[in-house]
Order: sequence, then structure tokens, then C-alpha cells
Amino acid sequence: MSETAIATTAAEALPDIDSFLKPTHDEYSRQRSVAVLHSHAVLNLRFDVRKTYERNVKPQFEAENGRAPKDGYEIAKAIKGDHFFKFYSAIRYNAQEMGPMTRQASVERALPQMIEVARQAARTTPAGGSLRLDPDFEIPRYITQVDTHLSPGNYHSEFTQDDVAQGVLLGRGLSSSAGKSRINKTRNFSGVGDSIAYWLKQTHPDFKPRRVLDMATQAGANLLGYPKAFPGCEAYGIDTAAPGLRYGHAKAEFEGVPVHFSQQNAEKTDFEDGYFDLIVSSFFLHEVPIEATKRILAEVYRLLAPGGILAFMELPPHKACDPFLNFTFDWDTRYNNEPFYAKYRSQDPTELTVGAGFPRDATFEVTVPDITSFEMDKYPDFLRGEVEAPPHGRGGWYIFGARKA
Amino acid sequence: MPTFKDPSAVTLPRVTKGKRPYFFEDQSIDQVMTFFLELMTEVMVLRDRQDTLERMLDEKGAIDREEVRNFIPDGDIEAERTAERSAFVSRVLRIHTPGGREDEDA
Repeated sequence: MSETAIATTAAEALPDIDSFLKPTHDEYSRQRSVAVLHSHAVLNLRFDVRKTYERNVKPQFEAENGRAPKDGYEIAKAIKGDHFFKFYSAIRYNAQEMGPMTRQASVERALPQMIEVARQAARTTPAGGSLRLDPDFEIPRYITQVDTHLSPGNYHSEFTQDDVAQGVLLGRGLSSSAGKSRINKTRNFSGVGDSIAYWLKQTHPDFKPRRVLDMATQAGANLLGYPKAFPGCEAYGIDTAAPGLRYGHAKAEFEGVPVHFSQQNAEKTDFEDGYFDLIVSSFFLHEVPIEATKRILAEVYRLLAPGGILAFMELPPHKACDPFLNFTFDWDTRYNNEPFYAKYRSQDPTELTVGAGFPRDATFEVTVPDITSFEMDKYPDFLRGEVEAPPHGRGGWYIFGARKA
Repeated sequence: MPTFKDPSAVTLPRVTKGKRPYFFEDQSIDQVMTFFLELMTEVMVLRDRQDTLERMLDEKGAIDREEVRNFIPDGDIEAERTAERSAFVSRVLRIHTPGGREDEDA
């Protein structure tokens, strides 16, 4: 190698975009503290809400109606005046809202440098991935109408040229509950891709996808597991929000994983028919209206090659939970700015899949273990049906899908 | 496309778009809950800070607790602390709808 070549490589070496994020002692401490408040609400207080429901709300409802509440909606209505419920909700709501706010200052400080790194990644693509943005892209109104998850600016807002801020702020890697010291060991939001890839390999040993597509990929946190699990598999990620795509592309290039990110609406993409063997997503469909969900699944059917697999991680539907659990899940609809959440959960994922064209006998709905927290020596027992995966969001992930004929 | 700011001048929005729910009959209680939880967070941060400090000093053998107890800050230190306290107060007394607006355009 000539000296010039070495010098060029050194000059162009892509830095780790996250290395510029340097929260101060107090900012870091604030992030950790808010994560504790939030965990306390969703994981501890929830049991007290169930108690208050069983002791006070349910008997009152039964006295008035001569029967128990039949679904989560009835519980939500009946519990509204309960004192404990009000405090539970206020704590959960505020802790949720405070999360991104504890991270904003460090993102603002690092922003100019992070944007430069993302630009360099897009220009040089050292790992061989790509970033394709559409300056005329129209963000669907169902995304712009409210700030999802109470995160000001949501996923899509851009405040400066080539902005990455919202991608960094809401990228799952930065979550104060992610990583080694996360508060709750079984809530690793970046473990979904690895967990589905592992499950697919165990259950479909002959499956060798040439290309995988992750819909609503954000910064690709749950996409990178697939090219790692299936060597040679090309990875594609689409999202409507540019900041996460820029940020994710810079991260993937730095990690040496070639990923092709593009700004597209999953309802109608520009890929050819049958371009993919595997199409995945996580935490996606409950954020879009049901009409969009149907169009997205029809698009998945079009994009899959024969023998290709659809595997979406989603919230468990109403049919899979008891009324109280449905009520606690659906809390997010109104109070976490996720307006389509309950409506999505009221649908039957298998019926949606069949409606998109997949053969009924090739559909599946299953909760798979999160492999970053599961005792893996028990995985064979899980596959044999002798051990159940932990519940969704507490060590397991609910997935549904189908294999195209 | 809006006119873009210089990246070093970006201030991310601190107000959430979407109709805010009120869980209590009196909305003031919801606001007080926010104050309370922000304050609780700040107390946790302080405890961490103190813990950090004491561990570091202990490691270096540099601490005299009697001296700490009797410490009165000079004017410069007091000015610095005043600025810190103002930032603290703004964070803790975070209003749901600054200027009475439900939403703030991004």
C-alpha cells in the first residue's frame, strides 16, 4: 500500500458517531433517575393498579352492572375516577415525558460534530452500505399529528441541514434503560432483531435469506442482527424519518455492517416484486392506522419472493390477553400519544396476514424468548413446547407472520 | 422546507405535541405532580453527585469533613451557585403549556 493510500484512509477513518455524545455527570444521573421512575411506574405500580382494580373498581362495576367488565375499554372507563389510578397515570406519564428531555442537552451540544460524522459516512460508505433520502418526501399525517411516546419533535422533525438530532435522541441505543446497566434486564428494546433471527434459524434451518428488509427501521437497531445471523444476507432498512436513517447509517458504517437505508413509506416502496426473502419490523404497526397496516402487509406480500418470510414483532392483540392486561397495554393509546394502539390490538394478526394474501396454513403467532436475557440452555425446551417464553416485553417478544407459498 | 438553523444553534423542543391528558379533577394537581417528579429526579442527581464526590475524595485521602461542615462560599462561588440554582429552578418548575399554548410548532 502506498503512503498516499494510508494517509487517505487515516484522514477518512469514520469516527464512532456516538463518541461525541458526552453527557455530564448530572445529565447522566438525570437519565438514570428518570429511567428508575419510569420502571417503577410500569413494572411496580402496575401491580398496585391491579390490586386497586380487584378490590375497589371491579366490585363497584359488578354491583352496578351485574357482571364483570368484559374488556379493557370498560375497565379504562370504570377506573378513571380511582385515586390510585390517577397517581399511577400521572407518574407514568411524567416519567415517560421526562425521558427524552434528560437527553436533549447532550444531543444539542454534540449535534454539529454528529452531523459531520453522518455526512462523512454518507460520502465515504466504508462498509459498503448506502443512504438514500428523498428531499420531497411527504411525512404521513398520522405521524405528524402528535409527538409519539411524548417525545417532543417526534422521529421526523429536522431543525438543521442534514439533522440527526431526533434519530440520536430516540435511537434505542441511547435509551438510558439500554445497555449493560439497564434497569430491567428483560426490557432490552434492541434485542428484538437478534431474538427473531435466532428463532428463525432454529425453526427454519434451511432458510437462507439473500436480502432482508426492516420496515420502520429508525436507526436500524433491530436490523443489524439479521446480516450477522445470516452471513451474506444484504440488509435494507426503510423509514419515513430522515434523522434516524442518517444516524443509523453512520452507526452501521462504523460497525462495518453494510446496510442500505432509504427514506420510504412502507405502504408503497420502490423495490421490485419478490426482492426480499425476509421482511421484519418491530414496534411498528400499532403506530399507524389500520388502513395503512393493511396496505403495508399487502406491500410485504408483493416484496417477498416465493418461500420468503414475514416476521413482525408487535404488541400482543386483545385476543391474547385478559381484560385487565388489555387495559394496561391500551393506556398508551391516549396517554402515550399512540392514537392507533388499541385499534391495532383489536385486530387479529393472522386474519390481517391472510387478508394480505398469505396462505392460512403458513401463518404463525408466537412469543419468542429475548435471547439477551433468556437462559439459553432452556431454548431447546422452549422449541419443544415444554417451556413458555416469558411474556411480551418482560423477557419475550410477541411475533406474527407467515411464509409465502 | 423551513430555513435551517446553524447546527450549533439548535434548541430541541421541550413541549410535547398532542392534547395533554389531565388525570385529576383539578388540573393544578397534574402540574404539581410534574414539579414533584422533576424535583425528585433532581434530588436523586444530587445524591449521585455527592456520592461521586465523597468517593473521589475518600480515594485521594483529601477530605476533612469538619472543614466541609464549616465552609462558607466567597462571592465568585456564590455567583456560580446562583446560576446553577436558576437553571435548576427552571427545570423543576417546567410548565405544561408555556404561554398557555397546548402545542408548539416544531
